[in-house]
Amino acid sequence: MIKKLDSLFLSYYSNFSSSKYSLESFERIFGGASRETYKIKVTDNKGIEERLVLRLSQDSSLIETEQKTEYLAYSAFQNSRVPVPTLIDMEEDDSLLGAPFMLMKELEGEAASPFTPNVYAPHEDDLGNQFWSILGEIAKKEIDTEIFENFSKDLKEPHWKNELDKWVKVINEDSISIEPILEAGIRYLYRNPPNDLEKLSMVHGDYRSGNFLFLENKITGILDWEMAHLGNPLEDLGWALSPIWSWQDRDRPAYLIDRHEAIEIWKKVSNIEIDLKSLEWWELFAAVKGMAIWISAGNEFKSGKNIDPINLFSAWIPGDIHLEVILDILEGNI
Amino acid sequence: MKPDINIALMNAAQEIINRFSPLIEDEYEKSRLGSWGALILISAMRFNDAASALKKENIEIADWLTSNTKVGKEDLEKSVNLSTSEENIDRLDKQNQILRGLLNEEIERLEDVDDKSVLLDGYSLMRSMHQRRKVSDLIGLLQQSED
Repeated sequence: MIKKLDSLFLSYYSNFSSSKYSLESFERIFGGASRETYKIKVTDNKGIEERLVLRLSQDSSLIETEQKTEYLAYSAFQNSRVPVPTLIDMEEDDSLLGAPFMLMKELEGEAASPFTPNVYAPHEDDLGNQFWSILGEIAKKEIDTEIFENFSKDLKEPHWKNELDKWVKVINEDSISIEPILEAGIRYLYRNPPNDLEKLSMVHGDYRSGNFLFLENKITGILDWEMAHLGNPLEDLGWALSPIWSWQDRDRPAYLIDRHEAIEIWKKVSNIEIDLKSLEWWELFAAVKGMAIWISAGNEFKSGKNIDPINLFSAWIPGDIHLEVILDILEGNI
Repeated sequence: MKPDINIALMNAAQEIINRFSPLIEDEYEKSRLGSWGALILISAMRFNDAASALKKENIEIADWLTSNTKVGKEDLEKSVNLSTSEENIDRLDKQNQILRGLLNEEIERLEDVDDKSVLLDGYSLMRSMHQRRKVSDLIGLLQQSED
């Protein structure tokens, strides 16, 4: 598959750039289950090297989103305070590489596993300050009208219900067993809705440890915007704060800085006051949404559609953790 | 006596992680194989107890339902047939799904009538079920396979 893909890519990129390139390397990155991601190195006929990242839609992916969604989200934050890769091209047709794709310049830095404690040491403070500040920047960003219109065409009110309905549908379609904890969590969310904010923000949809690049003490890029949409910025905050991303040190979300400090930074940068009851709702929502993703992964694996071990891992480990998070919140509210 | 299946799986996992995975140069394939090793190791560690854990869970749910709700022992026996001596996992799992469905209905009913005391007891049951079933405490095995 890779051999065929690399020659298809070289042919496409030479045509696209009207220049002759040779391929130095073409490597798939392990992880993310929604897109196949490749790191590519090419040189032109003058010997100038280019480092690229190709994101290819998968036949069978956890979250079925259009390539355009991610492309537009990246577009909204080009040259902003939110570091994102420079976009090169996006193709929704599968005639060129066999699937829709997006091409970007590679950023410096590395991504960590979200399940590894102390992975950011000794730079947790610097990275933590940037991580929560950047999320505040995303929340307050005024979105370009054309991009806003593209994202708002399917938007229904109230926004919390729009999002909850979407993930509950995934759960109903993909569940392979009855899970009373999850069902109780879903009922709680419908019965105790949060306040919707008047201003809509761009929501990253998967802002967390593991979805950013860092180089020593600097965050160099925010990645994986395929679930981006318009909505309540507390959705991203609730997801990023979820204990799943710092399971072995729960008071230090994303294994970065203290939770209280993180929230204060976000409030200061975003200029948005937090209704704590609403934030708790979004934190419970995060666990339910997580369950939808892990259930979907388990279904892909069990049905044989995609036996990547990441799907089995997702159904087992994160699925267990998010169930425990749901139960903790339910018990705390009784 | 022949070596047990879980011992065979554990050894296979260790061979994958320590012997075969380091031989692969392609980073993607190496990570994928290492993950398989860790997941097989987790499977091996849970293999022996899978049936007995499911049986314990079924008994625990049935006891809770008959003690805290209007579900009667006879009704339960009719719908689930817990007293059968057949103990294969498929059979236990089918019983488990019926019991989980009943538990979910009863928890919803308790929420509707806001019976906090019994609801808390129900949460306690769900926590006990989760504690027995979860594998997330074995996350360290996956981290080791990444090193």
